Amino acid sequence: MQDNRKFLDPRTLAKLQGLELRARSIVEGYVSGAHRSPYHGFSVEFAEHREYAPGDDLRYVDWKVFGKTDKVYLKQYEEETNLIAQLVLDTSESMRYQSAQAPLSKLEYAECVCAALAYLVLEQQDSIGLATFDSELRTMVRPSGNPSHFKQLLHVIQSAVPRRKTRIGPTFHDLAERLKRRGLVVVLSDLFDDVHSMLTGLKHLRHRRHEVIIFHVLDPAELEFPFGNTTLFHGLEEMPDVLTNPRALRQAYLDEFGRFLQSVRKGCRAEHIDYLLLRTDQSLEVALSSFLASRMSRAR
Amino acid sequence: MQYAPLAFGFANLAMLGWLAAAAIPILIHLWNKRRYREESWAAIEFLLAALNKTSRRMWLEQWLLLALRMALVAVIVLAVAQPFWQASGLAFAPGQRTLKMFVIDNSYSMGYRPTDKSRFERAKQRAVQIVEESTQGDAFMLVLLGSPPSVVVGTPAGDRRDFLDEIEALKLAHTSADLPATLVRLEELLAAVDDAGLSRRELIFLTDLGRNTWAPDLKGEEAAGYRQRLDHLASQAVLSIVDVGQGGSENMAVTDLAMQEPLATTAREVALETQIRNFGNQARNRHLVEFYVDGRRTKERYVDVPAGEQAALVFTHRFDTVGEHVAEVRLGGDLLDVDNHRWLSLDVKDRVRVLCVNGKPGAQPMTGAADYVVLALNPDAGEGINSGQVEPEVIAESGLLERDLGVYDCVFLCNVAQFTSAEARVLEKVLARGGGLVFFLGDQVLADRYNQELADGNTHVLPARLGEVISEPQYQYRFDPLNYRHPLLSAFQGREQSGLLTTPVYKYFRLQPLPKSRVALAFYGGDPAIVEQTLGRGRSVVMATEGSLSSVDPKTKDPWTTMPAWPSFLPMVQEILSLAVRGQQVEHNLEVGQPLGDSLDGMTARPTVEVNTPGGARDEVRMSLEGQVSRWTYTDTLQSGLYHVVLGAPLSRQENFSVNVDTSESDLARAAVEDLPRQFSARERMGLEQTDFANVSYRGGFHKQLLYLALGLLLAETLVAWWYGHAR
Repeated sequence: MQDNRKFLDPRTLAKLQGLELRARSIVEGYVSGAHRSPYHGFSVEFAEHREYAPGDDLRYVDWKVFGKTDKVYLKQYEEETNLIAQLVLDTSESMRYQSAQAPLSKLEYAECVCAALAYLVLEQQDSIGLATFDSELRTMVRPSGNPSHFKQLLHVIQSAVPRRKTRIGPTFHDLAERLKRRGLVVVLSDLFDDVHSMLTGLKHLRHRRHEVIIFHVLDPAELEFPFGNTTLFHGLEEMPDVLTNPRALRQAYLDEFGRFLQSVRKGCRAEHIDYLLLRTDQSLEVALSSFLASRMSRAR
Repeated sequence: MQYAPLAFGFANLAMLGWLAAAAIPILIHLWNKRRYREESWAAIEFLLAALNKTSRRMWLEQWLLLALRMALVAVIVLAVAQPFWQASGLAFAPGQRTLKMFVIDNSYSMGYRPTDKSRFERAKQRAVQIVEESTQGDAFMLVLLGSPPSVVVGTPAGDRRDFLDEIEALKLAHTSADLPATLVRLEELLAAVDDAGLSRRELIFLTDLGRNTWAPDLKGEEAAGYRQRLDHLASQAVLSIVDVGQGGSENMAVTDLAMQEPLATTAREVALETQIRNFGNQARNRHLVEFYVDGRRTKERYVDVPAGEQAALVFTHRFDTVGEHVAEVRLGGDLLDVDNHRWLSLDVKDRVRVLCVNGKPGAQPMTGAADYVVLALNPDAGEGINSGQVEPEVIAESGLLERDLGVYDCVFLCNVAQFTSAEARVLEKVLARGGGLVFFLGDQVLADRYNQELADGNTHVLPARLGEVISEPQYQYRFDPLNYRHPLLSAFQGREQSGLLTTPVYKYFRLQPLPKSRVALAFYGGDPAIVEQTLGRGRSVVMATEGSLSSVDPKTKDPWTTMPAWPSFLPMVQEILSLAVRGQQVEHNLEVGQPLGDSLDGMTARPTVEVNTPGGARDEVRMSLEGQVSRWTYTDTLQSGLYHVVLGAPLSRQENFSVNVDTSESDLARAAVEDLPRQFSARERMGLEQTDFANVSYRGGFHKQLLYLALGLLLAETLVAWWYGHAR
C-alpha cells in the first residue's frame, strides 16, 4: 500500500481532480454518447454486415439474411466508448540514470507519471492499458476500466528492470500493429535512440489514427552538463566509456543535445503529436497540469 | 685567438638540472588523467558526437596550456641559473682548453674562522674543488692577492697533482691586500702566456670581499688606471669572484703598542701605551688584555670598547737589565687571531747618550751655543720627564772627528759654522745606524757650506737647504703649529701655557725643505721653523733659529730668539730628542712585509745570520759586503710575530725583530655589491657549511628579463586556463 501511495501523490491528484480528461477530436469521446466510436461493437446500434469467419461468435449471426441467401453474415454495431489510453513506458537502461541534483531517476519519475495518469483515467471510468519496452515490447496490459485494474498496472510498473538498449522505432511499429482500438498513446521515454527511426514509429501510430502524447523525461544533468573535473563517463546501453575534461566539452555537448531536442520537437509537431519535456527535478503536478490544461484548450 | 661578439654561459650551471622540473606539468596532467571521478551517463552518444567535433581543438588547447606551464617552469629555472652574455668575449668551441688563474686573497682577514675552517682554508678547498671539476687539458695558474702580490704558479700548469700540492702548501700571510698592484701582475702574467691552445681564460678570485681591498680609495690617474686594467683583463678573460666572506664581521684588534718615552732605560719605569680597537658592531665589555715582557705575563687588564671605537691602555714596566727586550700585548681570543697580538722590541739602555757640539763656546755660564740645550736635555732640578735618563756630553766643533759617534744615540749640532766632507760622512753614519741629528742654527752658520756639504753634495744629512737670514727690526716672528699635525707638537696641543705660540723669534734662516722631508713647525708667513726627515735608519731635524741666546744681531743687539728662556724650550728639546732617536727603536719594529736587516760598519768578516721565524722555521741569511759595510737582509716576513736573529762570531749576539700587522685589514666590513667592479661577470657566494652556488648576479645577465617573461607566461597561463574553463 505504501508503494502505491508513492505514485499517488495527493498534491498531484488534488490538482487533477477538477480537470476533465478529454480525448482529442480523433479519439472517440471518453464519456458515453458524447462521441461516435469508430470501433464496431455488438451492443448498441446496427452498422453493417460482414461475412462470417471461423471463430466468430455465433450469437451475432444474422439468421434472417442466412434464411434468404444461405450465406452467413454477422451483424455489426456501432458502440459507445469511453477514452482508451495506452501508457507506453521506456524501461531501457538509459532510463535508470539519476544525477546528483535529481530526486528521482528518469524511470522512477516516469513511473510516477504513469501511475498518476492511470489513477486519473480509472477514476473517470475510462480504460487504460500499459506497455513497457526497451529493445522490444516487454509487457503489455490490455486497457481496462475496472478500478481493480489499477493494482495490476502498478505491479507491472514496479517490476520493470532497466537493463537493455532502447530501440524505439521498431517498438512503436510493433505497438501500432498490436493496438487494435484507436486511443490515446502516452509515451514516457528519454527517446535516446535514432530520431529518424523513432519518428517513423510515431508516424505509424498516427497512421493508425492514435492520438500520441510524448512525455520526454530527462535528467537536469543531461540538459545542463554541469561537470567540472576530469570524468570517466560510463556509457549505458552498451555504449563505450569516455574519459574527458567535461568543462572543455560542455558547449559542444549542449549544442549536440540542443539539436537532438530540436529535431524531436520538430518531428512531433509535424505529426501533430503533443510533446512535453519533463525534467526529473521538476514537480510532477506542474508538468501534468500544464500538459492537461494545454490538451483541454486545444480540444475545445 | 678567435673573438666572437657574444658568448653565453651559466655561472650556476648546477641549477640547470632543475630544468627537469619542466616535466612537472606533464606529470600533473598525466596524474590528473588518472585521477578522475566516474559517472554513469545515458546521453553518451551526444558526448561522443561532441568529442568527435572538439577533440582536435581540445588537444591543441591542452598542449598550449601544457606548453605554457612547461615554459613557465623552464624560464624560472633559467633565470635562477643566471645566464649571462659576454660581449666581445672569447668564442668557446667545444673541446677548447681553459686556462684557470686562481687569485686567492692572502690578506689576514682571510684567517677569520667562523667555523672549524678559516676563510682561507675554505678558499683553498673551493680552488681544489674547481681544479678537480675541470676538464682534461685545462691549465692552471696561482697568484696570491696580497701586498705585495705573490705569484705561486706563474706559467700554465697542466699537472693537476702538482698544482693541487701547491694549493695545499699555501699559508696565509699576515698582510693586507693590494688589488691594484695585483691586477698589474695579473696583466703581465696573462700577456706572458703564449699557449695558443688556451684560448679560453678565467680569472677566479677567491676572497672575503673586504671593503678595504675591493673598494680601494683611488683618485685621479690611479683610479683611471685601475678601471682600464680591469677592462683590459675582462676583455682577456672571464672574471669571477668566489665569495668566502660569510659568518660575521665582529673583530677586536691591538692596533698599536708604543713607548711613551723616546728610549727605554733601566733608570726608570717605561710606560707603554696600547690601543685596542673594536671593529665590530657590538660593544665589547670586560675584554681581557694581557701584557707580556720577554714571554712572561706581567700584567692583565680588562677593557670596555664600544662598537667601532678605540680604547687606550698604558702598561708600565721597569726593566732590570740593559739590552734586547720584547713587550707583547695579547687580547682575549676572537674569531680572527692574527690581530690579537702586538709586539714591541725594545733596546733598553742604562741611559740616553747625547753628544752636543758647541759651535760658539761662551766665556760665562749659559753663554755658549749648547748650554741651554744641555740644560734642557738634563735639567739640574731633576724635574724633566727624562731626568736621569739622558747623559749629555759637550764638545767643541773641532772634536767631532775625534769622537766615536757610534756610542751616542743623538748628536746636537748647535750653531756650528761649517762641516768638512769627513765630518759630513761621520754624521751620515750616525743616521745610517739609526741615530739622530739635530741642528740648531745661529750667527756662526755658513749657509753655503751647510748646503754644499750636508745637502747638495754626496752626503745628505740635512732635511732642508738653508736660505737667506730673515729678520726685520723690531719685529717678532711667531710659530704656527700647523694644526699640531706633526707628532713633534702633539705634546703642545691644548697646552697654550707652554708658550709655544708666544715664543719670540727675531731672526732665522729661511729653510727650503728637501724632497721627502716634513715641516713640523712653521712661522706665520709660511717659512718652516722645524723640518725633519728620515735618513738612513735615523732621523735628522733642523731648527731654523738658535738654541741659545749666544747669537746676537749686531745692529739691534737683540738675540736671534729668546726661546731658550721660554717655557716651551725644554719640552721642545725633549720632543726633538724623542723624535730624533726613535729610529733606533723603529729599526727593530716592522710591519709585515718589510725586510729585516742591519748594516755593520767596519766588518770584514762575514758572520752567519740565522733567522728564527714565528712559524718555527730557521733560515740562514748570507751577509753581503759593500766596501766597509756589511749588510744582511731577510725579506720573508709575511707572518707577524717575533723574529729572533742570531748573529754568529765574531759578533755573537742576538736581536729581536717585532713584525706586526697593518691593522687596516682588521676591519672586516665587506664591500657592497655596487662597490664591486662591474667587469666581474659572476659572483659565487659560499655558505658557511656547504660550497654550493647561491645568490649569483651577473654583469650582462638577463635573468631579470627572464623573470619578467615568467611573469608574462604566468598571466598568459591564467588567462588561457580561464578562457578554456569558463569563458565559453
